[in-house]
Amino acid sequence: MDPITLLIILVCIIIGGMLGSLGVHLLPVGGAPAAMATATGIATGCVMLMTGSAMTGLFTASTVAAFWDSNPSVLLVSLSGGVGAMLMIGFSMFIANLLYIFGVGVVPVSGQVAVDPITKEPQTEYMTPRTSGHGVPSVAYYSGMVGGLTGGFGGALIYVILLSGEYAGFSAATAAIVALGIFIANAIMAAYNIGGTIEGFHDPKFKERIVTGLTCAFIVSLMCGILVLITIETGALGGVM
Amino acid sequence: MGKEEKKPKEKPTLSFDYFNETRLGVLALVVGVIIAIVPFSASLPAVVKGIGAMVVILWGADSVRKTAGHGLGTGVPSIGVLAVGFGLVGATTGMAIGSAAYDKVGPIGILGVLAGVALMAVVGYVTGVLANSDKFIGMKIPGLERGMAELAMAGTLAIILECSIVAGTWHLDDVIVSDNSISPVAFIAVIFIMVGFGMLQPLNSSMGADERRGRTLLMAIEIGGINCVILGVVTVMSLGVVQGALLIMLGAIVWVIFYRAYVKACLEESYEVVGTGLIKTLGG
Amino acid sequence: MPVISLFAWMLVIVSLAFIACMFEDLESDIGSQSNPNSQIQLAPEMGYIHRYFNKAISGEGLSYALACTISGTIALVLLLRLEPTSGPKAALLAIPVGAAAGSILYMIRASVCHVGREAGQKRFEQPIYLDVLYGHLVPIATHNFIVVICITTIAYIQSNLALLSGMEASAASVSNPFPLPLLCLIWGITVGAIGSSTGDIHYGAERAFQDKPFGEGRRVVYHGQICRYGDCGVRTSKDVVAFCAKFGGPATGLTFGLIVLFENWRTVIGMMLGGLSETELVNPDIAAGYGIGIGIAVGIVLIVLNTWLVKWTRKKYGPFVGE
Repeated sequence: MDPITLLIILVCIIIGGMLGSLGVHLLPVGGAPAAMATATGIATGCVMLMTGSAMTGLFTASTVAAFWDSNPSVLLVSLSGGVGAMLMIGFSMFIANLLYIFGVGVVPVSGQVAVDPITKEPQTEYMTPRTSGHGVPSVAYYSGMVGGLTGGFGGALIYVILLSGEYAGFSAATAAIVALGIFIANAIMAAYNIGGTIEGFHDPKFKERIVTGLTCAFIVSLMCGILVLITIETGALGGVM
Repeated sequence: MGKEEKKPKEKPTLSFDYFNETRLGVLALVVGVIIAIVPFSASLPAVVKGIGAMVVILWGADSVRKTAGHGLGTGVPSIGVLAVGFGLVGATTGMAIGSAAYDKVGPIGILGVLAGVALMAVVGYVTGVLANSDKFIGMKIPGLERGMAELAMAGTLAIILECSIVAGTWHLDDVIVSDNSISPVAFIAVIFIMVGFGMLQPLNSSMGADERRGRTLLMAIEIGGINCVILGVVTVMSLGVVQGALLIMLGAIVWVIFYRAYVKACLEESYEVVGTGLIKTLGG
Repeated sequence: MPVISLFAWMLVIVSLAFIACMFEDLESDIGSQSNPNSQIQLAPEMGYIHRYFNKAISGEGLSYALACTISGTIALVLLLRLEPTSGPKAALLAIPVGAAAGSILYMIRASVCHVGREAGQKRFEQPIYLDVLYGHLVPIATHNFIVVICITTIAYIQSNLALLSGMEASAASVSNPFPLPLLCLIWGITVGAIGSSTGDIHYGAERAFQDKPFGEGRRVVYHGQICRYGDCGVRTSKDVVAFCAKFGGPATGLTFGLIVLFENWRTVIGMMLGGLSETELVNPDIAAGYGIGIGIAVGIVLIVLNTWLVKWTRKKYGPFVGE
């Protein structure tokens, strides 16, 4: 295969991995404490949440990619995946808020900032003392929607670049599996980077850790991308539709 | 070689003391590699590969135990999934290199599959450095670099071996059948999840203050047995009844032995086993 | 006509998704899986010996991926064997058998992790109650069976959508290209992720601490001090389900149902606008574009709804009162 195409594949894999990592940093993840309304965010581990949403995106992306006979439009398919992941996160956060409000009786509130930076609502006096917030407040909701969009976009981008006949030309199942492997590796590195919990872009942790996270994502995706390039160059997988 | 594989199967009912972490790793690597590179022409029966997969899964579970025992910040399962995630990429690369080399230079090219394992070891090690180094994530877990490298290798080897169980060989022409009605690649999802569980569940389910290595690793072999049963069902379809039935029998026997051993060990080592009753501190 | 049956199948998928995720959440409550499990695990350490079932298979996403993928695999093997002779009828046998295999395997995984975790807490004097062990396994398997059979059916419908809605072979693009086990893996991870991120709140923050004040987040000092009394006598994990089935379970089902509804709906609408006929899809660019547009519109509506909901709550509930 000519070097330009190979380079494009490599760059797309790196971008996809880095967007996946960025998505994890943007999601409001509370981990186990959030299920006890002790921490702000969605009540599950970020790896599962990001993988779950990227999977929803991947499903839509695969359906959309099948619209075309062999060369799907990279941008449209990736965007479909991103929007799918965004909707998954959006509905989860919305219904989670309903449960917090009517099931537990708490106000969604951020524990990391005193004033919501977007809606300007004060936070501290609504928070239960000796917890670090509860529910998904407005700013975390916006952050989560953007996180879902970028994460899903990244995952679907890796998938479609491996699937498309113009580029790697793997079969649908192979492309999905390799994309899943690369995406999971990046999501887990990002999860280790944030130490399991984060509230979103307004969390001080975000500014502190994001550069490290993206650097790690870059290196991991680069290494995985090189392995994929070697695979393509052997020609054993390419073109099998 | 046959004798080498028997050892870890018989030992654990007593203890894993002889197979400390290093010895177990070396043994699993050797067994896994030998089974992976035995020539296609005299392809090994699925049963032998099944044993190989069990040993490799056992190694992965031990590595997970070693690294995740210190607390990762986001749950034990993540590191097991990381192993299979890397494994998917590494196995694809290894199988592609091996297949291409086999087609070009003949039987010696089979060694090419090891390139995938070796490359993945490098990737795993670098990832471990990234996670552990103060300049990057700074998790400060002793031995994380080595653990991640081992996990990436174990994941890769396990997935290569299991693909080869389903497809007969790991040659990509066999793994990705072009008329794809019985394409083994369709079953890679189950390989992914079974290998992942074999590595992550033992520690996750035995965790606690009184966790013991010998007990935890029993479960890894137990999941290896279930793995063989499931793959045996698939193999009946892809390779024929004889291969599949043997694999199912092996899996069932291993599962019964180790399930009993694990549950018995837990019941014996727990504080107390009572049929029923109220909680004594509640005054009942 | 085929386009109408596309919508009909979509609605079947949505209702199955609703049932699947509702039972997923209830099943995770039977065994205190994923997030609330941290409290069940912590309780003996705090001196709270309990009679809950400690089901730490792994995170819910992975454990459901396991059950669903096994089910999809067994179903696919049976389909490959039976379809050549008996046609699509084979699914009637393959899907339940696959789901049964998946849920039996899941039950086995649940049994080992209860004894494993309780044995790991020897020094806190936590005994293993055999009636708790045996009494919970069948409810776990039955709830799990309903989830797994729904997910496998969803995956089957999606991978055979063109055939089921009477499209020509050339319009195969309406079917999903993934093989059945991979689709089961995808939906299994998703259903688990949703069940753990929404449903667990009702159990973890309310039911597990029902003797603590309502209307406040659980302070860190309360962690591990779970409520051990049932409506009558000592509580087991089965008592949790009856409570969560009133609100937490259905709400979780609604989440997954809505996600599947809007994901499929926008794709099908896009396909229609892209000129889907019985034989082909005329304009894939327009189809994909409309799908994305509708998705973004739904996202904006969600953002507005949530902002309004948070504002309303803040006004009604007011600042935190109490100590």
